[in-house]
Amino acid sequence: MNGSLQISPLWLLPLLLVPLVVYSGLRMLVSVGGEDSQQEERDWTVPQLEFTAGKSSPVHRWDVRFKLASILLFAFLIVSLQHVQTVGIALFIAFVSYRIAGIPWRRGIKRLLGMSGFLSMFLLMLPLTAVQQPGDLVLVFGQIDWLGFNLRGLDLAILIILRACAVALLMEPLLATAPLPTTLAGLEHMGVPPRLTQLLLITHRYLFLFVHEARRMQIGMEVRGFRKSTSLATLRSVGNFIGMLFVRSFERTERVYAAMLARGYQGRWPQSVSFSAGSADYLKSVLLIGLGLLLVFCDQLLWKK
Amino acid sequence: MHISDGVLPTAVSVGGYLISGLLVAWSVRRTRGDDLPKIAVVSAAFFVASLIHVPFGPTSVHLLIPGLVGALLGPSAFLAIGLGLVLQCLLFQFGGLTAIGANLLMMGLPALLAGWVFYHFKGRKRRQRILVGALCGGGATALSAVLLALLLVSGGEDFWGVAKLALAAHVPVVLIEAAVSAMIVSFLIKVKPEMLDTPFAFKKPT
Amino acid sequence: MHQLSKLSPLENDKDLLMKIEGLCYRYPDGTPALEQVALQVRAGERIALVGHNGSGKTTLVKHLCGLLSAQQGTIEYKGKGLAAEHLASARLEIGLLFQDPDDQLFGHSLYEDVAFGPRNQGLSEAEVELAVRQAVTSVGLDELLFKPPHALSYGQKKRAALAGLLAMQPEMLILDEPTANLDPLQEQIFIDLLKQYQGTLILISHDLIFLYELCERALVLDGGRVHHDYSLRELVEHRPSLREHGLDFSFRFAESRQQTLTIKDERREVDRGGNPELTLPASSLIVTRDLHYRYPDGTAALQGVDLRIKTGEHVSLVGENGAGKSTLLLSLLGLLPFAGDYHFAGEKIVAGKGRLVWQRTGMVFQDCADQLVCPTCYDEVAFAPRQFGLKEAEVKELVESALNKVKLDGFSARVPLHLSGGERKRLALASVLSLQPQLLILDEPTAGLDPRGEELLLEILRDIDVTLLLVCHDIFFVRELTERTLVMHRGRIALDYSTKDFLADKNLTTLNGLDYTYRNRCALQIKELQHRHEHAHPHKHLHEHPHRHAGQLHSHPHEHEHEHPHSYTHSHDKSGAHQHPVREEYHEHGHPDHERDDHDHSH
Repeated sequence: MNGSLQISPLWLLPLLLVPLVVYSGLRMLVSVGGEDSQQEERDWTVPQLEFTAGKSSPVHRWDVRFKLASILLFAFLIVSLQHVQTVGIALFIAFVSYRIAGIPWRRGIKRLLGMSGFLSMFLLMLPLTAVQQPGDLVLVFGQIDWLGFNLRGLDLAILIILRACAVALLMEPLLATAPLPTTLAGLEHMGVPPRLTQLLLITHRYLFLFVHEARRMQIGMEVRGFRKSTSLATLRSVGNFIGMLFVRSFERTERVYAAMLARGYQGRWPQSVSFSAGSADYLKSVLLIGLGLLLVFCDQLLWKK
Repeated sequence: MHISDGVLPTAVSVGGYLISGLLVAWSVRRTRGDDLPKIAVVSAAFFVASLIHVPFGPTSVHLLIPGLVGALLGPSAFLAIGLGLVLQCLLFQFGGLTAIGANLLMMGLPALLAGWVFYHFKGRKRRQRILVGALCGGGATALSAVLLALLLVSGGEDFWGVAKLALAAHVPVVLIEAAVSAMIVSFLIKVKPEMLDTPFAFKKPT
Repeated sequence: MHQLSKLSPLENDKDLLMKIEGLCYRYPDGTPALEQVALQVRAGERIALVGHNGSGKTTLVKHLCGLLSAQQGTIEYKGKGLAAEHLASARLEIGLLFQDPDDQLFGHSLYEDVAFGPRNQGLSEAEVELAVRQAVTSVGLDELLFKPPHALSYGQKKRAALAGLLAMQPEMLILDEPTANLDPLQEQIFIDLLKQYQGTLILISHDLIFLYELCERALVLDGGRVHHDYSLRELVEHRPSLREHGLDFSFRFAESRQQTLTIKDERREVDRGGNPELTLPASSLIVTRDLHYRYPDGTAALQGVDLRIKTGEHVSLVGENGAGKSTLLLSLLGLLPFAGDYHFAGEKIVAGKGRLVWQRTGMVFQDCADQLVCPTCYDEVAFAPRQFGLKEAEVKELVESALNKVKLDGFSARVPLHLSGGERKRLALASVLSLQPQLLILDEPTAGLDPRGEELLLEILRDIDVTLLLVCHDIFFVRELTERTLVMHRGRIALDYSTKDFLADKNLTTLNGLDYTYRNRCALQIKELQHRHEHAHPHKHLHEHPHRHAGQLHSHPHEHEHEHPHSYTHSHDKSGAHQHPVREEYHEHGHPDHERDDHDHSH
């Protein structure tokens, strides 16, 4: 114990639970606003990735190749930032581009919630378990000295969360502003093998199908009285359910492939998207990457200080 | 559990991308060209299976099934899991954009190992197949939990606590995963045994 | 007695599109699927390919479009064998429509999917766009051009899949059960589309009425062989053949419980609200008042459904696809967060908490694959009783009685996935009967069944004594099984009257465009064709029998005329005259006392 200690009254201890309460409150808020507040089961709907219908924004008009390259690079720059201040600015930039793309908040919030479980683990654990270093400020509640609340750990957790949020917000301008086939065609132009992108498209398509299939099978089981519990019977039913899902999907693969062959598939997916970049595309990319590099530079300066 | 953005050091994220990129390339090469579209369809089913929650006491865990994917697809499993993880990231933000490579290693390596074990030890007897299936299911999940912990610890000493918590959280998952895998294998033996003979896998590219 | 009628010699050899000779195929496990199939298809022909499940139809079709190559025998398309480059080009010219449209719609959006074929044909992007737009317009889906496939309804998916083929301007279209699971409106659209199509058409279907509309030639497969190859009219007229090949739907002509239909034009609009009867307790199993439901995207699916079903009633629910039938069913099962008042057996049901309903209700889904999740039939039927905590001995009893009810005795150890379509349907029924439900809900029970399966199902359903809610497009089942019909339209119950009145309702098409009488008309037309009775015909025979010539007994073939009755399936034209094929072959029949007759003929 070589960090500086600060003794706080015991009653502050429950404050540790505040983030948990806020989180579950937020979760409830979203689900109440959502469609299936009544259902105990999880939401089975797979979100629609693209948000392009009738939309036009500087992000929508951005050449896909440039958009992908810039945002991907920017994302990597963000996760290498080490200070809350610079990450805060990065989050702000992500926020602004989200606004510019004109995407509804609901989608962004869903993304943030998607990673909330994982990130809350850091928020809870890092302050309590971070190794104490010289100069750390550790809060100890009353006499419970084994439970030190390390503020540096809290800083670290917040840093991680801000980075994750910044990248998550960028996902929407990155993916929602062009149809998925176009985005993937852009990836191909950047060197990703076309085979992989085509597979991704097929998987994406059949995802929706199997989700519906699984949902219907689940209804079929529920209607016959199935209710999940911690029991071997439940595990058996779940095993059967998944097994059946696999069997159905395996059988479908044959038919899908036959359908592809029957329509002239010869191992190569016909491609059609063509790109043309203008000066605006270059400008946008230079702007975003420039900002990213500037942030990294500032971050380094802070480090030296 | 999927690692989100901002957790891993940049070097680890980039390294994860490189290594899993190579492994994906290998996985594609080991899959027959005809089978590639089929792998894509099956991946969608695995994706959906991983959305299923199983109750465990007061809480519930969702399945990962890397072991079973490995057992059913062999070397193609790495590709299938890659497709699934990319889509989970794109659609649900489960796992971050910059961490896809690391996540893929974490899930894909155990799947490959499980596939190898299942292929070589599944034998002919029903009982043995079920047992090996359970072992693969549980083992692959345990291994991916260990990889997760290792990846987390790559961030520095501060992450020991989180890594331990993540490991502990996986204990029930491992048990449930083993049990469900056994059930699935027993189901498949009765209903469609040829699926357990890795229809897509272990064929040299022609 | 079957005769392979000889093909009439080709007038013009260049019309010949496809020629198959001596085609044999064995599955990898050695089971023969096709044996010595010979077949010629001429350009512009419309062929009905019929036969039992497992008779080799699908395998033959896979050969026709080059998905399987001949193990033995030859397949020639336009005079050349299907191989290499010719195979690739043949695939581009032959379109195959799969039974499940989802197998075929693998594109990201409708546009992308329809463009798949034309792009494979190597067209330029401008030509592709033109082809796509034309095809999509011809199936009437222009508005959905950029929608993802999963956003389409089932009927729309079917048409989208067809558009994907039409965009390639195929010379030959092969369609596998194109109208299965379609509502009458969608079916009519499909028939019209196919009538417009100019090329060669091969249709696989169990639906004779549908085939009768479209095809001229019938190709009957049985056990991997071509059993008949003649005109569809001949097949339809010959009931024994139909029965033999599982196509006989004449059970539909059996004397109906409500045969005497009185034509009434008046309709009773549903009394909306303030109906004093609604408060009647006890005998009402289901009472809902003002049920509402909105999809997550805000579309209203139920807009105030008032419904009362008495215990023991048999009710059918009809309406176009998208009228809200499925949503209503899911709400009645407590699976959807509906708004409004709902009582089941006198107890209030809260949305999302349907356990009480489930315990007393059995629902058979449209696609029984969604319902069958267990590795054995026994487990499948035992699933529900086990969930409600019954003892294993009781479960066993329930399972056996349920399997017995659906005529699947001895199926306990079988794997549900390996059963035929009709068996699976009955198993699904057993799996809900095992709970001895008070209410049985059937969602499109006839979907995907062949006529024999339908007949069996009907028989079983008639014997089950429960309150029945039947959702069905098949007017025959509606007529046979229910006495009350609810017509749903745009999220409301638009009409509520006796099935008798429903059947007589001539204004129904103006409500939702569904013409339920169409199939009846076709069926009657076929019935006319099959009109069957016995005739005594003067008949010449060449036969051999011992006979006497002035004390000399001897035997030799000789020809003479005598009369005996023969049954011929035949039609009558307007003048009352009739025709039927002449039987040339010798047939056994007694000639009582004939031997002792005098025979004078010269030797």
